Amino acid sequence: MSEEIISFLKSKFADSIIEVTLEDRETSLTVKKEKFCEILSTLKYIGFNHLSDVTCVDYIKEQEIEVVYHLWSHTKKLRGNIKVRISRESPSIKSVVDLWIGAQIHERENHEMFGITFLGNPNLSPLFLEEWEEIPPFRKDFNAREFVRREYYEKE
Amino acid sequence: MKKNKLEEREITPEFLLPFGPQHPASGHFYASIIIDGERVVELNPHPGYLHRGLEKLMEYRTHVQNCMLVDRICILDPFSNEIGYVNAVEKITGIEVPERAKFIRTIMAELGRILSHITWIGVNSMALGLDSGTRIAWGNRERIIRLNEIITGGRIYPCYFTVGGVRRDLPQGFKEKIMKELDYVEKQLNVYDSLVFENEIFIMRMKGVGTFGAKEAIALGTTGPNLRGCGVKTDVRKDESYEAYPMVDFRVVTMKDGDAYSRALVRRGELAESISIIRQLLEKIPEGKFRVIIPSFMKSPKGDTHFCCEAARGELCFHMVSDGSPNPYRVKVRGPSFSHTLSEFPYLVKGVNIADVPAIYWSLDPCPADMDR
Amino acid sequence: MEELRPKGIIKSVEEARAWSLWVINYFTACGFLELLPWVGSGYDMERFGIKAVGSPRHADVLIIAGYVTKKALKRIKRIYEQMPSPKYVMVLGSCPMTGGMYWDSYATIKHIDKYIPVDVWVIGCPPRPENIGHAIVMAMKAIKSGFKGH
Repeated sequence: MSEEIISFLKSKFADSIIEVTLEDRETSLTVKKEKFCEILSTLKYIGFNHLSDVTCVDYIKEQEIEVVYHLWSHTKKLRGNIKVRISRESPSIKSVVDLWIGAQIHERENHEMFGITFLGNPNLSPLFLEEWEEIPPFRKDFNAREFVRREYYEKE
Repeated sequence: MKKNKLEEREITPEFLLPFGPQHPASGHFYASIIIDGERVVELNPHPGYLHRGLEKLMEYRTHVQNCMLVDRICILDPFSNEIGYVNAVEKITGIEVPERAKFIRTIMAELGRILSHITWIGVNSMALGLDSGTRIAWGNRERIIRLNEIITGGRIYPCYFTVGGVRRDLPQGFKEKIMKELDYVEKQLNVYDSLVFENEIFIMRMKGVGTFGAKEAIALGTTGPNLRGCGVKTDVRKDESYEAYPMVDFRVVTMKDGDAYSRALVRRGELAESISIIRQLLEKIPEGKFRVIIPSFMKSPKGDTHFCCEAARGELCFHMVSDGSPNPYRVKVRGPSFSHTLSEFPYLVKGVNIADVPAIYWSLDPCPADMDR
Repeated sequence: MEELRPKGIIKSVEEARAWSLWVINYFTACGFLELLPWVGSGYDMERFGIKAVGSPRHADVLIIAGYVTKKALKRIKRIYEQMPSPKYVMVLGSCPMTGGMYWDSYATIKHIDKYIPVDVWVIGCPPRPENIGHAIVMAMKAIKSGFKGH
């Protein structure tokens, strides 16, 4: 993002933006959970019309999960990463399906792998795994090697 | 009067057709199609037959060991996966790669793009019933795979790029060998034109089928040749240039109509552009070192980064988080076929004839391994 | 190969079976990439009488190439049960044999022969086309001398 976009956002949402890093054509913003939807719709209105990906990172020591939205603007050729932190106990966040239709499938995958509830998403049924009874597999307290030893090598 | 038993039974017009995992035209992917006569009402995709949890496996291995796993994200185009991962690690650690290594990586990436598009010609012809296109395309693919083997040592999974450069230098006489194969591929493009792209039946089956405009395409998350077939001029190699792409001159191929035939023509144009890119690079390649030696248990500093590159199918992104140890803390891979198969395909298929479904599916060039990871 | 080639009229059912093996068209996973040269004009498979068919009721051989996930295993078992005997199973690659490089993945099967019986194992990651050809010729010799599968 360029300097003028960052200053425009800071003037409008001064108390929601926590941290900004600017590097060449790419910017990362860390924002608070309350107003992140309005920041995203402002960015979409400015010209960031392509949502690349929705990523989740599990910080188990701080007991928080970080959700990152990666945006790209086809007209301005600029990239932006918006980061939001939510708590790890029963995590839930508002869905962005009404801004970008393509976000529905990314949120469905993150719900299955991390256990996050996206409020407003029409379909959160399991995508990749069938009859999965353990905790969501990409969390840090799921020990994959212990699970594999118990389920596959000892039973076969 | 006797009442006919058939009249008492309730008849529903809709029927569930499985486009199943074992199917000559579907890859390893299941979609349940609800049809009404010959028209499709709705399509529900069910992926997950190739899911291995690669992102979780990468957290248990060091950066150098991960270079072998990353090859297998998209099996039809291995070089672009390696470029993405290795560049993300170098961005986070700040390692500078020598010039010769950048040129070598770009040459191999473009060879991989040619290989992927030739495989696509074969698979698309097989789905439509044009078997001779398949046999000829998959036979020609052998020449480039043998070139892969001479340069890198592996036919399908080269495992050639590493953090700091490439593993070994190009062999003696590589210029003549690569030029010979490029001349052969260029001559074969005429054969593909007359057999596949200008074939009347191919045009009738692909033209006007699976159309969508630029606005809907961007809202659904389309990237790559599928988006360039709708008229949007965007390419990661030009917008956020990486490796040796700033030093070559090429044009971004776009078509206006947005149907399956324009997507096919975009890929045909990219084949010709890749051949010219490799020829320019072979003339300009500098001498020098091909690798910077780094320790195997190199610790990367804390932080996170995001890197995007242009694979043959679209935009491939890596988001990497590191916490100061030799293993990465979290790696997220955004495969191009994830949005294409799971968002676009159900949207494009509503209301078409059942015979158009494989034509639309393969014109989007999906790779089920890329989608499931 | 010379002793396999039929001289004159084919005299026995086993010889006819060996020279017309039909493979079911099931693109499983990454090990399948080295079967594409066999379909193409490089190493042509139709000169051995091998053909790809769509339905399991018409097929003789099931090729499992590459890793098998738990979700796909149910479907593979069902296809195996639908094939009429005599039927043969060929496994390519090191992932279905012992886990391969996905030995610590929570979703893949480590030993496939605990679930379905296997006749031919070919090692490699993925195996080269010449290795697959050697395995096919070995299988044809065994079928010609009366082998009917496990």
